[in-house]
Amino acid sequence: MKRSENRAGHPNYPKHMGAGGQQAEDIEIGRPSPERTRAANEVGSAIAHQLNGPLTALRLYIGEIRQNGGSFRESAEAQSHMQQMVEAAFQETERVCAMMRVIADSFEGPLYPETAAALGRDVISWWSRCGGTESGQANARGPAEAACLALLTPREREVLGHVSQGCSNKQGAARMQIGPRTFESHRARLMRKLGARNGADLVRIALGEAR
Amino acid sequence: MDQHLHDVNQMPYLAKAITRILVIDDDANVARAIQAILARHQCDTVIASRAHAGIHAFQASQFDLVMVDLFMPGMNGLDTITRIRSESVVPIIAMSGFRLRNSLDADKDFLGMAKLRGATTLLRKPFSPPQLVAAIDRGLGLLPSAGESIQ
Repeated sequence: MKRSENRAGHPNYPKHMGAGGQQAEDIEIGRPSPERTRAANEVGSAIAHQLNGPLTALRLYIGEIRQNGGSFRESAEAQSHMQQMVEAAFQETERVCAMMRVIADSFEGPLYPETAAALGRDVISWWSRCGGTESGQANARGPAEAACLALLTPREREVLGHVSQGCSNKQGAARMQIGPRTFESHRARLMRKLGARNGADLVRIALGEAR
Repeated sequence: MDQHLHDVNQMPYLAKAITRILVIDDDANVARAIQAILARHQCDTVIASRAHAGIHAFQASQFDLVMVDLFMPGMNGLDTITRIRSESVVPIIAMSGFRLRNSLDADKDFLGMAKLRGATTLLRKPFSPPQLVAAIDRGLGLLPSAGESIQ
């Protein structure tokens, strides 16, 4: 596991994911506490349990449609079966969306909207550190990281490049021919967007995303 | 539900007997989706949305195979498996949306627990139509058992 720090100390960290908001525990860096791990498991399982039903039904309908789409014209019976599958798939899609709204509504909105995707990635990697799936981890991270990267402006991406090459604020600013303060403000925004706790964290995320 | 059962196009030239399947899942939509898919595979599917209702249905009729969701309100899936197994040697497919082994809690090995209680095979949700059909064939002994038979 690459990102081994507990990011609970980060101001943008979703507090509701923690167990009872124990301050002392938030400060502690290292392995997540059993309480925190359990809370992650509870929230994760609840969400997984909610979504599993409609996703199972949806996968069955879509699978059937994909496999038998060609038989649409064969007979009235096959046609009626396919229409039922399409209608049911649509209903299940609506059900997943309704559930997603409920899940999203039951969590506090992000403090900074632009950090939402970064937090999503944070929660996923944190979740995998807490004992989430070992195998699913690599897959789960991919899209969220891509979403994070997509949030960056070209300027911020340029700053990220210099930072990941080990440039100081001064060196980076000189390379980009901008003031050190401007470079710093780009860098600060970058860190907020990517959910990085410090410079080292930012570099690690940058290197991860460059892959 | 009977209108789904006899699909002339899918009928093999050597007509197979209709397989009777009991699906016990608290999510009725999942059970209905399973029923709709299996209707094209010469299966007569009966749905129960509670464990107790499922056990009643099982006792009231003859089934070739039972599918049980492991996590249901009230009497849970594991108890349902135990109960059915105590009365019958019918193949039982345990369905679970969760990882079957918990790395934090060695006691939460649902795969082991379900097998211990008498499940024949396990099916991880969400599953695809081919996975569903393969699990049933495996349960009925038409396919060789493939270990944990997940994914």
